[in-house]
Amino acid sequence: MLRLEAMSCGYGGMRAVEALDLEVGAGEIVALVGANGAGKSSTLMAIAGHVELQGGRILFDGDDISSAAPMARVASGIALAPEGRRLFRDLSVRENLVVGGYVRDAGRQARNIETVLALFPRLAERFERPAGTLSGGEQQMVAIGRALMSEPRLMLIDEVSLGLMPKMVDVCYGAIRALRARGLGVLLVEQSTERAFAAADRVCVLESGRAVWRGSAAEARGNSAVIDAYLGVGRATADAAS
Amino acid sequence: MLQLELTIQGLINGSMYALMAVGLTLVYGLLRILHVAHAGLYTLGAYIAVLIANASGSLLLGAAVAIPAVGLAGMAVYRLLYEPILDRPPYVALIASIGLFIVMEEAYRLVFGPYGETFSTPYLAGRLAIGPIGAKGAEVLMVIAAFGLLTLLALLARRTRFGVAWRATVSDPAMARSFGVDTIKVRYVNFFVASGLAASAAILVAVLNNLVEPTMGSVPSYKTLAIIVLGGLGNVAGTLAASLALGVIEAFGTIYIGHLLDRDAIAFLFLVLVLMIRPQGLFAAK
Repeated sequence: MLRLEAMSCGYGGMRAVEALDLEVGAGEIVALVGANGAGKSSTLMAIAGHVELQGGRILFDGDDISSAAPMARVASGIALAPEGRRLFRDLSVRENLVVGGYVRDAGRQARNIETVLALFPRLAERFERPAGTLSGGEQQMVAIGRALMSEPRLMLIDEVSLGLMPKMVDVCYGAIRALRARGLGVLLVEQSTERAFAAADRVCVLESGRAVWRGSAAEARGNSAVIDAYLGVGRATADAAS
Repeated sequence: MLQLELTIQGLINGSMYALMAVGLTLVYGLLRILHVAHAGLYTLGAYIAVLIANASGSLLLGAAVAIPAVGLAGMAVYRLLYEPILDRPPYVALIASIGLFIVMEEAYRLVFGPYGETFSTPYLAGRLAIGPIGAKGAEVLMVIAAFGLLTLLALLARRTRFGVAWRATVSDPAMARSFGVDTIKVRYVNFFVASGLAASAAILVAVLNNLVEPTMGSVPSYKTLAIIVLGGLGNVAGTLAASLALGVIEAFGTIYIGHLLDRDAIAFLFLVLVLMIRPQGLFAAK
């Protein structure tokens, strides 16, 4: 469904991601892992059209969308829950969802809101509250729900678990699995390798903008020492030292 | 009884400030521009209304033409003045806006003369009274217009899909655009509404004073700029509260310290004092 061919992207003269090949199929969860600044968020933002493409192509259902505007990508079925969530903080949960579904006609709005509330019943209790007053976990639900309002076939989710309580992380991953079961493709960025390996079907490790390891989640679990070394995480080295 | 009358007088003046300042804070919230030329559009509304009212004999027709016409003029100001310099530092737009305001005032002076226009038949000059409390017809209409128009605006902003998109654009333009919101249209609508509100305020002031003059926007321009700072730049509810508060303070001050300072001086003294204590405004925007 989504196919990156030697995609490079960056900001001005700076290269964030170098010649990345990646595929995400329908009904599949792919996790991007890597250290800070490895290019994970930039990859998602480039697919959504927010970061300048500097080489290669982005194909969605075989169509080259490399130069399509962000809005056109949303309309074609790609939705983003971005880094930092970027909710409309003064707007209520309901209003955030309304904006999320802006490319779809108003008639489908009510049905899509029902879908989101069925996925995250907790949002029904917070429906008219300003999004900025919600807890981190609830805000992540709004971010995912807002993205779902555009009826995507591919979801890009950044920093799924960052800063969330473990229980909330479970809720979010429960929802992501439910989306996979409905045939959505999910490309997510995850700080916690443990979480990523547990939830994903496939894993791609980025280091300094390049893919350095890829494989199934099961293989990733078997190679976690290697992957941790790529991430340069303190955890792996600290464990080894102690 | 005096206190009640002063409060009512204050709310009347506050309503006028609100109609004008809300537009100013809307522009600031969306584009981070201090839209000084707003006061020039305000004056334009009064001129169009008085000229059409005197030619046709109908104030209603004058207002019905002036309000949308000034709305369109506001859109033109955005398109021709602000849009080309949006990526420059904010002071560039501020200087351009001050420049346009001066040009507009001078243009009114050149075209319509320095002495001002009056309505050939004064409108709404009668006094409406409930018991001992009374106000001129134009003053009552000022309060009704401010309440009605701003309530309508709030309903549009809260209840309609476009209103929600508008507020989302103020909150995060890039995200709103990526979800398919036409943020350029939001800007045009924003300028249309803001300018139309200013025109309606100006028409009511013109009727109340039975005078339209080239510099009628000067004092309101300073005051409303200060009001939107008090209200927390970009914060509509705060701007409303600050408008009414300033109106009431002015009304009381005129009576109790009026022998020391005139009304405008009292207003600015209040603004200076508040900003010394709370430089972020009474209601800082989040």
